[in-house]
Amino acid sequence: MSLVNSSLKKLLKPIASLKLTVVIFALSIFLIFAGTLAQVNTGIWTVVDQYFRSLVVTIELQIFVPKDIAKVPGAIWFPGGLTLGVAMLVNLIAAHTVRFKLKWKRSGMIITHLGVILLLAGEFVTGFAAEEGNMTIPEGQTVNFVEDIRTSELSIVDASDLNNDLVTVIPRRFLDTGETITNSLFPFTINVIEWLPNSQILGPMQTPPERKGLADTGAASELAAIPLPRANGVDGANVDVPSAYVTIHDGNTKIGTYLLSVHLDRPQAVTIDDRTYWLNLRFKRTYKPYSLHLVDFKHDLFTGTQMARNYSSQVQLVDTARNVDREVLIYMNHPLRHAGETFYQASFLQGDAGTVLQVVKNPGWIIPYVSCSVVTLGMLIHFGIRLVPTLKRSVR
Amino acid sequence: MKNALKYLPWIVFVLAILSVGQKLASPDTVDSQFNLEAFRQLPVSANGRTKPLDTVARNSLMSISGRQSMRTDDKKFTAIEWYIELITNPKQAIQRNVFRIDHPDVLAMLKLDAEKRTRFSFEEVLTASEEINNQAIRASQTKAKARDPFQRAILVLNERMMLFSRLTQLEMPYLVPPISSGEDWRPFVETLSLNPDDPDARALLNILQSYRDNEVLAFNEQIAQFTQQIDNELGYVAKKSRYEVIFNYVQPFYTALVLYVMAFLFGCFGLLSSQLSSKKELTRALLNSMTALIVVAFVVQTIGITSRVYLQGRPPITNLYSSAVFIGWFGAILGLIIDRQMKIGLGGIMASVIGFGTLIIAHNLGGSNDTMGMMQAVLDSNFWLATHVVVVTIGYSATFFAGFLGISYVLLGVFTKTLDHERGKSLTKMVYGIICFATLTSFVGTVLGGIWADQSWGRFWGWDAKENGAALIVLMNLLILHARWGGMVKDRGVVVLAISCNIVTAWSWFGTNMLGVGLHSYGFTQSAVFWIAMFVLSQLVLMGIGLLPMSLWRSKFQRVKPAPKS
Repeated sequence: MSLVNSSLKKLLKPIASLKLTVVIFALSIFLIFAGTLAQVNTGIWTVVDQYFRSLVVTIELQIFVPKDIAKVPGAIWFPGGLTLGVAMLVNLIAAHTVRFKLKWKRSGMIITHLGVILLLAGEFVTGFAAEEGNMTIPEGQTVNFVEDIRTSELSIVDASDLNNDLVTVIPRRFLDTGETITNSLFPFTINVIEWLPNSQILGPMQTPPERKGLADTGAASELAAIPLPRANGVDGANVDVPSAYVTIHDGNTKIGTYLLSVHLDRPQAVTIDDRTYWLNLRFKRTYKPYSLHLVDFKHDLFTGTQMARNYSSQVQLVDTARNVDREVLIYMNHPLRHAGETFYQASFLQGDAGTVLQVVKNPGWIIPYVSCSVVTLGMLIHFGIRLVPTLKRSVR
Repeated sequence: MKNALKYLPWIVFVLAILSVGQKLASPDTVDSQFNLEAFRQLPVSANGRTKPLDTVARNSLMSISGRQSMRTDDKKFTAIEWYIELITNPKQAIQRNVFRIDHPDVLAMLKLDAEKRTRFSFEEVLTASEEINNQAIRASQTKAKARDPFQRAILVLNERMMLFSRLTQLEMPYLVPPISSGEDWRPFVETLSLNPDDPDARALLNILQSYRDNEVLAFNEQIAQFTQQIDNELGYVAKKSRYEVIFNYVQPFYTALVLYVMAFLFGCFGLLSSQLSSKKELTRALLNSMTALIVVAFVVQTIGITSRVYLQGRPPITNLYSSAVFIGWFGAILGLIIDRQMKIGLGGIMASVIGFGTLIIAHNLGGSNDTMGMMQAVLDSNFWLATHVVVVTIGYSATFFAGFLGISYVLLGVFTKTLDHERGKSLTKMVYGIICFATLTSFVGTVLGGIWADQSWGRFWGWDAKENGAALIVLMNLLILHARWGGMVKDRGVVVLAISCNIVTAWSWFGTNMLGVGLHSYGFTQSAVFWIAMFVLSQLVLMGIGLLPMSLWRSKFQRVKPAPKS
């Protein structure tokens, strides 16, 4: 038994070394620094995925030098956040396995590290399990779905049955330029002629000639979409708003080319054999068993200024399954928690016409609270035990 | 001689207190028969905050002319005198040279000559108002980062002109008190036109008319009456307003800054004398004088910070400006503690360097803005400002302090013979202890920030620039601790790494704001980039010096042989 134990320890020793810890810290420092700089030109979510939730990241050297000073080609490979996080975890657990001694003097250290393990675990849980979405509610309306503004989908609604709509949703990953979509749920073929990840809609007068007449059918055929660079920045103000040109075929007969866009708030009709199908490109929706009705949105300003003092949304929350029907005030730093989800005041529609709530479902939300208390306690004990006598000795 | 030296610190101490008292006793009052003292104490509402007219006048004049007073050929106008002339006699006021213009192209555009003066009148500027407006529109269509110096200068000028005319037309501040407490302040002209009989607006109108018509007695009587009325209606607000006027002329942070500089000089002389002469008494006297000055400066700074807390009704740190003040304040505490423990003057020098350094930074950050401005809606939470922001700032402060102690170790070690084995050891122990403390506070502070973020937008950690900056400080501190525990670095390594923490902290404190991304990207000035770059460079040089081979160090860190036992 002890032989196994000691050989295990031998095996773990290099993994458990403090040198490795320091190296991981140094690599993490560089990664976080680079991941911060990268946000200047790339959207934060892209950066988070590329840098902090990845195994390996290609760091472009350009991020270290502003573009207007010099063009720097090239990139380096670097361990991503996931790799470093796991490495840190392994190193830490190995260290405690090898050097574990239950001594009063080490208690603070052990507690601290338990807290750190919990903290890292919490970030993993958030990374894999947390869902974030938006709920946009115009004043006086009721909404029962959450939108994921980071991705989109194409919905096809067959409303011919008076009692039930048949809704087909095509996820974003099938919508790239050149894709063809067929399905037994609708009788036509969709060819994606052009997919614009971020776009702007122009009226007939603004459209440059080369973008004119791409769509020939549908409510938006007078309009045109032009590509925009991908959005960057953290807050909801900078969001990719995609558009697409799609051609619809009924067998071999061309029905027409449509311009679909998340910018357009109304579905477009495709009629085949007297049946009408409504096509709509929209942010990805998740329907919920509850609904929120926006009674009133308030945007208070400081006296005599344009500076916001407060945003608040008065909403009616209805959840029949849970027997909930009540009015709630959601405002800054005062979210609503319901059904495992939390609703935050995030933004508002132009002219204060409605509210945008951020809806977050994070099963691991409590972990950071616990782990931080544990780490803090551990550090206090550790430094308390270690530092006080050291300082006493140094006082002369 | 010896006796005289013994009293030096006490003399310095008393003089320092007297100089503070002198500030308190000379409220830069106006030499006028009009009771402008009462006038400047009147509470008004500007940029969402209730403040005395004195503050409005000072900030406005400061932002238009870069000074808190105005000089003409024969007279020096205080801010309030300038302001009351502006609103009662605009014809005269537009001829006063208050617009500071430096950019040569702007001056050329205005056909103004900067040979004799750098400040010009509104009348002069107005001659080119159309061109200024055109250029300002162009400039504002350019992205803030892409603007050239001329465009920036034009925008500044345009803003100043707007401020000037808003003040002249009494659009800003809102002069008329609320009808009842809890209601909003009201703009003067609008109130008067809506209801010419409004008693408050009427009273103000009479006051201004009396001033215009040079009726001293009437003015003084009316203002006394109006003050009485405001006292009755808004007692607490009026009291705060009066206190703020005192705060304005005492300038506690400026006073503290001067004291820190003097303390630093005493400290330097103290160190010098410890090198050059064998007279321990002289060194002792100089170093004690330094400590005395720091104590006074610290007390003044504490009063300043508490005053802001009282005036704002908020925890001590609400913006970059106040974070700078606070970092210096906490640095002074650490310095004083270390000064007591290691009696070679190092703690005091650290305290004074950090004290005046951060106050200079604060002064530049504050500029002409109201440093007690209102907060963005999402930041409006006293609880989190009091916990997260204070703890994280203490973490910054402690990390800086460790870094500066590191610098002193390197400088003393390489260039002097001051450091022996004992002192070197105890200095590195200090650095180590402070890093432990900094690890704790920066970790707790960062995490509290995460909890605030979770509370306000449902994301504990968003990889936002400022969050990352805070994480870097924690990681850097952890790296040092683990490197030391693992025996990878010894005393010198810890010290050099501690200096590198200064870079990380500066990056986290300011650098992240320069990127212009993220939720925390507030309060950034152009020239800050240059200074931060310089700072980073200086720290790298110091680290390089710290890495010089030990044979080049003048301090040899020899163990002092214990005296043979008899």
